[in-house]
Amino acid sequence: MSVNTPSPDPLAAADELTARARAWRTEPSESPQLEALALAVTANLPVLLWGEPGIGKSAGMEQLAAGLDVPLETVIASVHEPSDFAGLPIIGDDPATTGVPMAPPDWAVRLAAAGRGLVFFDELSSAPPAVQAALLRVVLERRVGSLTLPEPVRVVAAANPPSSAADGWHLSPPLANRFVHLHWTHEPRTVARGMAGTWPSVTVPLVDPGKISGAVARARGAVSGFLTARPGLAHHLPADAEGRGGAWPSPRTWEMALRLLAVGYATDASREGLASAVVGAIGDGAGIELLSYLEELDLPDPDRVLANPEAFALPKRGDRQLAFLTAVVSAVQGDLSRRRWEAGWVVLAKAVDAGVPDVAARAAVDLAALRDTDWAVPSGIDGFIDILRLSGAMPAGS
Amino acid sequence: MAGTEPAERGARLDRDKLLAARYRAATDRPYLASALYSLSVVPSTGVPTMGVDRHWRCYVSPSFVDATPVPELAGVWIHEVSHLLRDHHGRAERLPAADQRDHRRVNIAQDCEINDDLLADRLPLPEGRVEPGTFGLPAGRIFEAYLPDIPPQDTHLNCGSGAHGVPAPWERDGPGLAKVSEVEASALRRATAEAIRAHERGRGTVPAGWRRWALEILEPTVDWRRMLAGAVREAVAWAGGAVDYTYQRPSRRTAAMRGVVLPSLRRPLPRVAIVVDTSGSMGEDDLAAAMAEVTGVLREVGVRGNRVTVLACDADVHTVSRVTSAEQVTLGGGGGTDMRVGIRRALTSGDRPNVVIVLTDGYTPWPEEPETCRLIAALVGVGAGAAPPDPPGWVETVRIGDPPGYAAAR
Repeated sequence: MSVNTPSPDPLAAADELTARARAWRTEPSESPQLEALALAVTANLPVLLWGEPGIGKSAGMEQLAAGLDVPLETVIASVHEPSDFAGLPIIGDDPATTGVPMAPPDWAVRLAAAGRGLVFFDELSSAPPAVQAALLRVVLERRVGSLTLPEPVRVVAAANPPSSAADGWHLSPPLANRFVHLHWTHEPRTVARGMAGTWPSVTVPLVDPGKISGAVARARGAVSGFLTARPGLAHHLPADAEGRGGAWPSPRTWEMALRLLAVGYATDASREGLASAVVGAIGDGAGIELLSYLEELDLPDPDRVLANPEAFALPKRGDRQLAFLTAVVSAVQGDLSRRRWEAGWVVLAKAVDAGVPDVAARAAVDLAALRDTDWAVPSGIDGFIDILRLSGAMPAGS
Repeated sequence: MAGTEPAERGARLDRDKLLAARYRAATDRPYLASALYSLSVVPSTGVPTMGVDRHWRCYVSPSFVDATPVPELAGVWIHEVSHLLRDHHGRAERLPAADQRDHRRVNIAQDCEINDDLLADRLPLPEGRVEPGTFGLPAGRIFEAYLPDIPPQDTHLNCGSGAHGVPAPWERDGPGLAKVSEVEASALRRATAEAIRAHERGRGTVPAGWRRWALEILEPTVDWRRMLAGAVREAVAWAGGAVDYTYQRPSRRTAAMRGVVLPSLRRPLPRVAIVVDTSGSMGEDDLAAAMAEVTGVLREVGVRGNRVTVLACDADVHTVSRVTSAEQVTLGGGGGTDMRVGIRRALTSGDRPNVVIVLTDGYTPWPEEPETCRLIAALVGVGAGAAPPDPPGWVETVRIGDPPGYAAAR
């Protein structure tokens, strides 16, 4: 040994180094997947995170629990027996009179004592089917042995995609249908920043008490309106095993989508986070159809806009501007009057102001064709002349 | 698009001309209008011509707009939106790592996929464009198929991260810039695909490439390998999930409780029988591929050795022989086929299987009623000629054919 002065604890300095390397801080940033997770957890729906091993699912859970200020219990599902979730039988003095109670494991007792919290079942898809079946009861009925988990306890599970895990089974359809499925991916840029010591922080959605009744009514109207239009999507079991082990539409998952939408409306969630959560509940196809249906519902009412054309905002995205402007022109066409026709030009002028005259050009051509010969040529048409001439739609010099 | 001249600094973007071109593109190809208008324009002197990023921002060089006539500019608009509609950056991420790094070749292959459709649609494109003919390749393929035949080259052709997935130096990002999220993008793709179908039903003609793309978005074909692997995994898990209690080994919890003997759980390892149709109508390559897939999955989930039985079944001569690997299966003469013989033999043998997988071309009678085991039918070589009759509903059916274009790519 070349060390002359022996330190009292040879590992003390090493431990300090480890602690230093482990310390990190957070910064606010947009992360749709974190937001979708927070939304589903806020709505108290069981969440299933799909992701390759080692991409920070557990780290995300720790952050979320810290953000919500609740205790976190992690249970590795694949190393447990079915009886760990169904309860362990304990013999009393006189089984004939007192029966044999099914004792819950310690994590369940801790959560029940706390009254709230987050339980995280890791490696769910690697658990054998019998364990999955026992877990079904925990997820569905919140019962672990003879103990009932309090209502505020949130359930999150994680699974590896069957293609990446040698022992990964497809989830059984009844279990899969009870979760909001979120795909957990890592963003290389986020990881690089995290290694420098800064991770994105979880913004916990806060439900505004004043918005509760309005948000629920709005969500009910949206989902029931959509299902009236598309009854075929009320229940649709996918044909292949992989699809059945993921998100698919069923009355149960529509209920989940409704709750997610209501929470989204009451918390001002971003469109992207809400969209990923809804798609995670009812699956890709149905989810995307619902979202585009909702966006169409969101477009301003053309008649109301024509009544007061100065006071409305053009939708942000081009395809929605196109849908809206087309609707305005057909509203003018449906009930043609000079006042409405001129109001139509005021609306189209907003598109020119917004720097997208081409979106409105088609509508302008149609609106111009509706002109009564007595009506004056509106000044708004000038904004479109260049576009139409350059594009070849109008001969030069006309 | 193909690069021509790097833009000079400080040029002003002729917005009217650029938007007139977009208007023209949207009027000529109305089914692409929604997607075209969803792009947000970002003037940039860094980009040689035009490029897109994965958030549906379109970077435009002012001098390129000045130098290009409107009809060609309209073609470039459609070219750029095609990269995004066809999810080129998402598909590029699924390429092997070596190909991903070589983003120039990926970009060229993607341009080949797009431009042959645009040229078939008689859209004018600027000089210096890339098309499959440039490399002596046939038109009408997807970029994954072109990629291996594209020679390495030095070009500053760069359509941006919306195409090949690698951010270009002129791309910008920030909270203030408009963006289309992934979910919105898939909604746009779906809406566009529906518009294409509606346009086709109405009056217009649509290029074959777009029609194929729309069909694939609306009714995606799933790769049979994943279907078959999923079906086999699930059937084995189901058989393995038949957990029962046994007193042969006491539970590990018994020690904790005096006077009580708790049973332990036993999980049987399932037995699997593979019945192979050896009639002459079977395609040998497809059969070998399906066989390799099935045995691969079984090995992965731990079912192997004497737990797997392979039966070669030929109904005409009523022979069922046990073989141990696909190489020993010899395909014989034609005539009728009866897989029921093979299934019956598998179920009456000493080691009764929990799962029976039948590899057949489908021209066979099936058992009248559900068997007491899981039955998976892998229909080999479907697609050539008339379709064989469907197996009964309780048979899990996977159709094995050529992986169709976009399915393999998605």
